[in-house]
Amino acid sequence: MVAQQIVNGLMLGAIYMLVAVAFTLAIGVLNFLNFSLPGLFMAGGMLAFGLMKAGWPFLLAAAGALAAAAFISLLVERFAYRPMQGGDPEVPLVSSLGFLVLLENLMLVQFGSDQQAFPALLPDLNLRLGGLVIGYAQLASLLLSLGLVAVLSFVLAKTAAGRRIRTVAESRETALLMGIDIARLVPQLFVASAALAALAGILFAVNYQQVSPFMGEGVGFKGVAAMIVGGMGSIWGAVLGGLLIGLAEVVSISFIGADVVNITVYGLLLLILIVRPQGLMGRAPSREKL
Amino acid sequence: MALLEVSALSVSYGRVAALTDVSLRVQEGEIVTVLGANGAGKSTLLKAILGAVPVKGGGIAFADTDLTRAAPHKRMGAGLVLVPEGRRILISLTVEENLLLGAHMRRDTAAIRREMDAIYGRFSNLAERRHMLASCLSGGEQQMLAIGRAMMAKPRLMMLDEPSLGLSPLFVEKLFDLICELNRDGLSVLLVEQNTGKALKVAHAATVLELGRVTMDGDPKALAADPRLQDAYLGGAGGH
Ligand SMILES: Nc1ncnc2c1ncn2[C@@H]1O[C@H](COP(=O)(O)OP(=O)(O)O)[C@@H](O)[C@H]1O
Ligand SMILES: [Mg+2]
Repeated sequence: MVAQQIVNGLMLGAIYMLVAVAFTLAIGVLNFLNFSLPGLFMAGGMLAFGLMKAGWPFLLAAAGALAAAAFISLLVERFAYRPMQGGDPEVPLVSSLGFLVLLENLMLVQFGSDQQAFPALLPDLNLRLGGLVIGYAQLASLLLSLGLVAVLSFVLAKTAAGRRIRTVAESRETALLMGIDIARLVPQLFVASAALAALAGILFAVNYQQVSPFMGEGVGFKGVAAMIVGGMGSIWGAVLGGLLIGLAEVVSISFIGADVVNITVYGLLLLILIVRPQGLMGRAPSREKL
Repeated sequence: MALLEVSALSVSYGRVAALTDVSLRVQEGEIVTVLGANGAGKSTLLKAILGAVPVKGGGIAFADTDLTRAAPHKRMGAGLVLVPEGRRILISLTVEENLLLGAHMRRDTAAIRREMDAIYGRFSNLAERRHMLASCLSGGEQQMLAIGRAMMAKPRLMMLDEPSLGLSPLFVEKLFDLICELNRDGLSVLLVEQNTGKALKVAHAATVLELGRVTMDGDPKALAADPRLQDAYLGGAGGH
């Protein structure tokens, strides 16, 4: 039934949304298409899985995975991003891709290349609403994702930290002259976007009960697509884009078939970009700059 | 000791020397002006004092503390602030957010609010547009916003880099009145200007830079009468 598919689509979309928001933070503020983020998504899921296998309770394992992802992201900042400042923007992109491959291979060595079953946390707890079946774990992750993005958006819009971040996004040179401690702010942003991506990986593992060293790739692509369709640098655009892709994916799987899912999803995105090249919530490219 | 003490400062961009052995001091409560042609190194001097460009030699002391190697946010914490050349208003932020950005290191929310209201009282144009993007302001209003933003940092020394550039005569008049008023209220000022005549009128001391070196300094009245300065800077504007 359609309503059930919509619910399922929103659940999947919430995960794309987190990844898209992580990408949009990196692009919007740091001007960096950070391809280590899909790796951190995967590391979130895989490390939570590994720690639970080692006997840690779920919440502790999740916290450990988030901390590890934050630490890895600091390494990406230190070794892929920072040394390349002032040079070609493509170079850190390529070296962040290197981190993705490295992370995948580390996990592959540690856990093998097969898909692994992630333990069900709340297996039998479902909310029944009319004909709808909603797992509590799914509902909790949807609310958590939306809540987190709302908090992030509030911080950006209304706090001194948010004004500092938006200043860096507009002009790093001005930020320096305004006494903003860029050397401290940049790693903090890397940690924030890593935490979003890794959390998405953990929620994916919880909801779909599977992890693999390559789980980041497909989700990463869709996260980037969600960001572009929403409008680069716009948080709520990333939210809209993520939910839209999740919906399109689930609905087209159940109504058209699984083998054409990428065609319908990416076809839809292409169509949106033809009609609105700046993305759904993006500002039209300004002419003032020229 | 002086509030700001710049001693034998040298700065280079790569191999190009922008400042060589520049010394200058600002006493508490003074307006000091730095004059010089385009490319003389005036902006570089202010940026070096703020810590936004690295120094090659010499020292910067502010309020009896050596700040030669300190990061800009440390220096601003100590009471230095810069109103940059070209104003550098953040156009993706509202007028009010630009003002609040000036106070981004402060935590005394109630005082910030009070001071912002005082700034709105002073500049009614900013008050009317407080929730609009700062890009909607005219050049003169943007300069007022840039100064308001700097005031929000609660500085002891405000550095202004060519604030009158591109302003209408009316706004230039307002600007210099404002600088004098802030100074009377106790703010020390380091003023870089192209408007040599006006700057020398309000300043307590003046320094002239040429190709990154100090060529004249001292009493602004004496400098205003100095034929070398007359030829170099005052002549063109006045028309012999
Ligand atoms: N970022 C920079 N890189 C290289 N050279 C610079 C830079 N900024 C300024 N310069 C050079 O340093 C000298 C002094 O410039 P500046 O301090 O801007 O002078 P002024 O403000 O007096 O016009 C000029 O020769 C200028 O070309
Ligand atoms: Mg200049």
